Amino acid sequence: MGIEPFSDPKSIDLTVDIGGIKMKNPVTVASGTFGFGREMADFFDLSLLGAITVKGTSLEPWLGNEYPRTVETPSGMLNAIGLQNDGLESLINEKMPFLRQYDAPVIVNVVGQSLEEYAEVAARLDSVEGVDGLEINVSCPNVKKGCLAFGTTPEGTAEVVRAVRDKTDLTIITKLSPNVTDIASIAQAAVDAGSDALSLINTLMGTAIDPWTQKFRLANITGGLSGPAIKPIALRMVYEVARSVDVPLIGMGGIMNALDAVEFILAGATAVAVGTGNFVNPMAAVEIIDGIEDYLKKMDKSSVMEIVGKVS
Amino acid sequence: MPNTPCGMKSIYDCKLIEQHEVSPGVWLSKLTGPEIARGAVAGQFVNVQVAKTTDPLLRRPFSLHAVDREKGTFSLLYVLVGRGTALLHRYVSGDIISVVGPLGNGFDLGDSPDAEHIVVAGGCGAAPLHFLCDSLCEKWGCEKVTVLVGGKSKDALLCEDEFREHGVLTEAATDDASYGYGGFVTQLLQAHLDKRSDASNLRIYSCGPHGMMREVARICSEHEVQSCQVSLENKMACGIGVCTGCIQKIKKQSQGCDPAWEYKRVCADGPVFEAENIIWE
Repeated sequence: MGIEPFSDPKSIDLTVDIGGIKMKNPVTVASGTFGFGREMADFFDLSLLGAITVKGTSLEPWLGNEYPRTVETPSGMLNAIGLQNDGLESLINEKMPFLRQYDAPVIVNVVGQSLEEYAEVAARLDSVEGVDGLEINVSCPNVKKGCLAFGTTPEGTAEVVRAVRDKTDLTIITKLSPNVTDIASIAQAAVDAGSDALSLINTLMGTAIDPWTQKFRLANITGGLSGPAIKPIALRMVYEVARSVDVPLIGMGGIMNALDAVEFILAGATAVAVGTGNFVNPMAAVEIIDGIEDYLKKMDKSSVMEIVGKVS
Repeated sequence: MPNTPCGMKSIYDCKLIEQHEVSPGVWLSKLTGPEIARGAVAGQFVNVQVAKTTDPLLRRPFSLHAVDREKGTFSLLYVLVGRGTALLHRYVSGDIISVVGPLGNGFDLGDSPDAEHIVVAGGCGAAPLHFLCDSLCEKWGCEKVTVLVGGKSKDALLCEDEFREHGVLTEAATDDASYGYGGFVTQLLQAHLDKRSDASNLRIYSCGPHGMMREVARICSEHEVQSCQVSLENKMACGIGVCTGCIQKIKKQSQGCDPAWEYKRVCADGPVFEAENIIWE
């Protein structure tokens, strides 16, 4: 008589679906906090992630802003990197072959200075093996042209989403800016224009001043605030958007641990992204995956989906 | 070629063995960390979680001052300058501190036994150069190594005794002429190089204030030394190469590029760079 293989009677279903992207768990990383995966692969197996979201990529290489680009603030930091990246060719020829080694969907964050640039990047990525989704960045606060200019109005957002939608069948995730008066109306415009999912929030625009030199601390003057300091705002915005649209959301903003992530899911996010938390703890994302599972066990739940939007 | 060891880079819970003030405002910490001690090369750094709360949020980078591969320990030498170092210096023996490392690329010690090595330290820039001195002595013999150590005044000279204990020729310079050579350590370097008709077997290594390293680079270029490496210290957010915050303009190696420079990450592409490739500002 054989012994039955051990099976957990309460195995937890961590899988989620973000606009067609099947994630084995609800945890990805915030674009720009994880590079293109290579550096983080020294710390853990990238296949553990629900999805890998890579740094903002433009058609041509961008130099980014002058130094200094970062400054620490209370429970957070400002950055004004300016989307330094090696451009689309480098992504396709150098970064994607590396990422294809891992068993995790890849989401490419797309940036542009014009509608045509967004459209061309989308068209080129449409057929690249291993790319599962595009995160449209219409919310970068540190780039002078394009980008945020689109993301601050429903019309501008819709234009970019339509331009990308026309060129690709890949999952489109529109990343929303918090630097707006009514985020729900912009979310609705993105969905109406064909966005399969939404991610939020990007960083909040801020600045920092050195009183002793009487100078700005960032070369770019302003930067995007991230980290635990912005979590309450991010949670409120996820909750607002979740009530107004029907597509899945990727919630982010100051997630440092599993319970932070659970709060976002309760507010209405189907998945979450770890951003600045990666800097403090390069293992944060994998620890959060385990922590979400532990939470669900403790709460006697059998799946992540059971708790999405269940705040009351 | 940059001196990058393989593997080992990870997050470690390191136990503080001891830390004490070695001179006014200067602290030495010794921690357990066998993987870091055995895997690191001179010029690399570690990223230390100084707070258990979210404020201050980010880790603080510290160069490796010394490693003891047999005992599996490493040391940090730091000046109390801000919130991060103020928090770190309050930890007591037995405390567990989260450390990411070893990070970055170390100094390239060369591959010729004929080379002579001059180490130029300015102020707290001496911290990583102690580890370097150890490595140079081990690889090439202490008789091949000269250390020039500079500071504002005698009190601000770091590691002079430690350098001497290696048995390397050590000369000190003080800006206020309170001890050793009266003047900048860069003038002392200039005097050393001026004495030679041929500097092509000289390898120079430096860490210190930005202006000092720029002057070291100028002097080295004038004398056409074999190699001049400097260790930079830009403000970092991640320390592991993902945020691209700590960038430095570096000359592109291929000709005819516009612009002729590119941004390199001090944390992951450095912190040690060949001085001739740096665009000094």
